[in-house]
Amino acid sequence: MDAAAGIEVTGVRRAFGSVLAVDHIDLQARPGEVTALVGPNGAGKTTLLLMLGTLLAPDNGSIRIAGIDPVAAPREVRATMGWMPDGFGTWDALTVREVLETVGAAYRIAPTAARARAGELLELVHLGDLADRPARVLSRGQKQRLGLARALVHKPSILLLDEPASGLDPRSRIELRDILRQLAASGATLLVSSHILTELQEIADRAVIVARGRSVAMQDLSSASSDQGSRQRVSHWRITSLDPPRLMAALVHHGVATQPLTDAVDVEVAGDVAASELLAVLVGDGIPITAFAPSYGALETAYLAATEDRQ
Amino acid sequence: MSLHGIRTIAVLELRQRMRTSRWPVVLGIWFLIIGAVAGLTWWAVHDQAGDRGTTLYDVVLFFVLGLGMLVVPSLTATSINGDREQGVLATLQTTLLTSADIVVGKLLAAWAISLAFLLAASPFLVWAWIAGGVEVGRMLLAVTVLAFVLAVICALGLMFSALTARTISSAVLTYLSVAAFTFGTVIAFLISMPIMATQQSVRVKVVSDAFYQQTQPGIASQTQPGIPSQTQPAIPEGKLSAEPTAADCVYVNRDQTILHTERTWWLLALNPFVVVADAAPSHKPLKYLGFEPLQMISDGARTARMGTTPDSLNECWPETQPTAVVAGRSAPLQDQQLQDQKQQDQQVQQEQLVQNIQRERLNKVPAVWPYGFGFLGLIGAGTIWVAVRRLRTPIRRLPRGTRIA
Ligand SMILES: Nc1ncnc2c1ncn2[C@@H]1O[C@H](COP(=O)(O)OP(=O)(O)O)[C@@H](O)[C@H]1O
Ligand SMILES: [Mg+2]
Repeated sequence: MDAAAGIEVTGVRRAFGSVLAVDHIDLQARPGEVTALVGPNGAGKTTLLLMLGTLLAPDNGSIRIAGIDPVAAPREVRATMGWMPDGFGTWDALTVREVLETVGAAYRIAPTAARARAGELLELVHLGDLADRPARVLSRGQKQRLGLARALVHKPSILLLDEPASGLDPRSRIELRDILRQLAASGATLLVSSHILTELQEIADRAVIVARGRSVAMQDLSSASSDQGSRQRVSHWRITSLDPPRLMAALVHHGVATQPLTDAVDVEVAGDVAASELLAVLVGDGIPITAFAPSYGALETAYLAATEDRQ
Repeated sequence: MSLHGIRTIAVLELRQRMRTSRWPVVLGIWFLIIGAVAGLTWWAVHDQAGDRGTTLYDVVLFFVLGLGMLVVPSLTATSINGDREQGVLATLQTTLLTSADIVVGKLLAAWAISLAFLLAASPFLVWAWIAGGVEVGRMLLAVTVLAFVLAVICALGLMFSALTARTISSAVLTYLSVAAFTFGTVIAFLISMPIMATQQSVRVKVVSDAFYQQTQPGIASQTQPGIPSQTQPAIPEGKLSAEPTAADCVYVNRDQTILHTERTWWLLALNPFVVVADAAPSHKPLKYLGFEPLQMISDGARTARMGTTPDSLNECWPETQPTAVVAGRSAPLQDQQLQDQKQQDQQVQQEQLVQNIQRERLNKVPAVWPYGFGFLGLIGAGTIWVAVRRLRTPIRRLPRGTRIA
């Protein structure tokens, strides 16, 4: 097993009878990063994750998870991989804690260790006070969080999450982001799918856009990343002002590359430090700024372009 | 497959069942029904002479099997596709559990519940044993075979629940196949009888014409073709000037329809009722106190296996129905009541003798149940194999209309 290998998918294809769910997907997810899998409903995200999750064999193409082929050696992959399905089914009669302990047993974790791990995870996903309630009574968002905890029981170094943010309230969404960033910081490889672009913008380092079973674009979202290297890279910011003409004039004056929009302006600067300096300069100039935020204009454009022709 | 994995699944299944379903209620109803059946049986036979325990044992075990075949399929028939519908199967499949762990674990859990049903019926079997007439060994063998049959039914349900996407389909298929084993085999056997029947010349042993001509010139010949042995006229009591003896028996050739059940008896052997009933027959004189279903089923199956033999073509009643000699018959009769009593005794002993002869014949027939036992074993192993294969991941060919998760 090669934990540094992450996930590598090349030319994967899968059909269900006459339905071509995944046509041709290439992607790479690196350790230490959160990779987003974005695409409209029916794009083939779940199908791809099933293939990565050792449940479904691809018709064509190759998959390597931590350097292992999930078709040839599913067991080895399972030992290092955590999978969270988009459905949130769980055993009705078990309590939240028992669900996690059962999954621990299924991963051959000794009962005492599994109990301790379950406690840890319940704290992590803030389900501690519901631990002894039947899993059945949880709300949708709570079930999603239990699903995440379930995927983490055996401390996997590769995580596949299918629409983990759907059904989460804003607070839980922020907590989810923190958990995922933490896991990535500890060196795990995360692949997270969603059909809602904004769900992933703050979470992911890079995004793969999938439409109609094909991977159409790979985008770097590095401004969301907090590691040192990304601070040096070119980043895009969106500035909104009460006085747009003055803002435009100031930007031109300071020689910043701009892209005017209807109610804001996108700028391109060399990293986070440059961005904060630009903000200070603009405020110093007395320009009334109401918003200064990372821009995902390029990703948005790519996403819209890729999904334009859907029915 | 590992012990640890099987246990994980079995514990999960049992825990779920204990908490969600009505099994305690069903078990209670089951106990009451079997109890009522046992009570009624006892009420019917308690004042009879002989081994009343055998009747009680037969009826109780018959009902346990019959009701068990209604209850047990529901334990597994929706187990796998139900889990898939609930979205909990795939999460297990991505763990270190193998598909064999899942299938065998589920099978063991369902079987354990079936055994709980057997256990709930056991007080009535103990009652039968106390009432007398049933050997413990016989009882244990029959109960063991019964438990095995229930395990096979569990496996059958598991296979269908792995094969079909919808729980309703697998439930229907499981009950249909249980019905096919129970009724289908009997119907197939009945249909096979006229198909296999042949018209042929056979050697039949009868009372010779010569005897009748000497003693009763007026009575029609007994050797005429086409008169089945059952319609043999009873011996006119006291009217005979002489009774025929074994020495008066002769062989004659007669054209007759022969049912070749010895060629199709195995159809009956596939029937779970036959397997359980025939596993431990009592070998007692062929005398039913009342309703002894298992004994009757076993006798029927062995009679079918025996087919047509020289013994069954023996219609010479002095040999097949020897007259009992009641002690003290020659003593002068005191009064009418005593005379009636004597006659009744004679009749009872006469019946006993005839039944002993038939029982001896049946005892010579090899047991039928090992064939059914082996067949059910193959079915069980085959269904488990199919279910395990069906759950193997990564899946290449997905059945139409199923989503994995
Ligand atoms: N088991 C299946 N049988 C037939 N069609 C399927 C099956 N699973 C998925 N599909 C089809 O494949 C396409 C991709 O589905 P999916 O991977 O679930 O999309 P996404 O998760 O991106 O919304 C859809 O058109 C869906 O209807
Ligand atoms: Mg999906």
